[in-house]
Amino acid sequence: MTILPGQLVDEVELPVERGKIREFARATFTADPVHTNESVARAAGFAGVPATATYSVGAGHYRDQAAFVASLGMSISRIVVGSVSWSYLRVLLEGDVLTATRVVESDENRVGKSGSMRVVTLVTRFVDQRGDLALVQREVLIERDTP
Amino acid sequence: MRAAPSLQPGDSPRPREVGPITATDIARFAGAGGDFNPLHHDEAAAHAAGFETVIAMGQFSAGLLAGLLTDWVGIENVRVFEVRFVAPVYKGDVLELLAEVTDVRGDEASINLAVRSGATDVVTATAKIRRFARS
Repeated sequence: MTILPGQLVDEVELPVERGKIREFARATFTADPVHTNESVARAAGFAGVPATATYSVGAGHYRDQAAFVASLGMSISRIVVGSVSWSYLRVLLEGDVLTATRVVESDENRVGKSGSMRVVTLVTRFVDQRGDLALVQREVLIERDTP
Repeated sequence: MRAAPSLQPGDSPRPREVGPITATDIARFAGAGGDFNPLHHDEAAAHAAGFETVIAMGQFSAGLLAGLLTDWVGIENVRVFEVRFVAPVYKGDVLELLAEVTDVRGDEASINLAVRSGATDVVTATAKIRRFARS
């Protein structure tokens, strides 16, 4: 099964919330107080509390993992995530409401040292409440032929 | 606004050590990010999949490196952050987080980062950072 580039994988709304920012900061040992103290954030020039760098991972709470894997015709037990990238157009701030639209960017079969594998690149565009692109995230999923 | 950092090749933050990674560390990240794959919290599921114990999410390591990076250069100066997952991180691992500026061009610095467990780089990353450059 091969998917055509541009196929929609899923679309969710991701609010940027102060409590969730704090959870991410603590869970990732991120110490900069701009993420946990509004007055420090404003003194540093932010219009509110900035999200941590990988806050967008929290879209996982809103997505249906089993459904998206099935929609790609992949087997969850054979998938590993090879790489993830974030391209920031601006800092995400508490109060932003992002629409995260994830599509297939490429879908290839490759032959490597350990046999053949399917390599699917997904790209998610996070568009803010004003309709402006704020963040682009790419993830490369690798599915091996054998478990 | 905070000033952009004036990074030069060879510059590094103080290395950060995290661990031994506990079940609580992994559970806390699961709660933050929403990844409830049983490989990350259920010993029986991890054993059934061939792992000796539960493994941390790749995004846990990515978040640790992002925290090292942004505590150093400021979240507002990160343009691109890319992480590659090389090997699993297990409960009990002690992780060393490392970063170094490899190149600067104009107002942009390139940084290499790694999560090291023992002698192995289990996660590697690169970043493009806005830097202060005299014009």
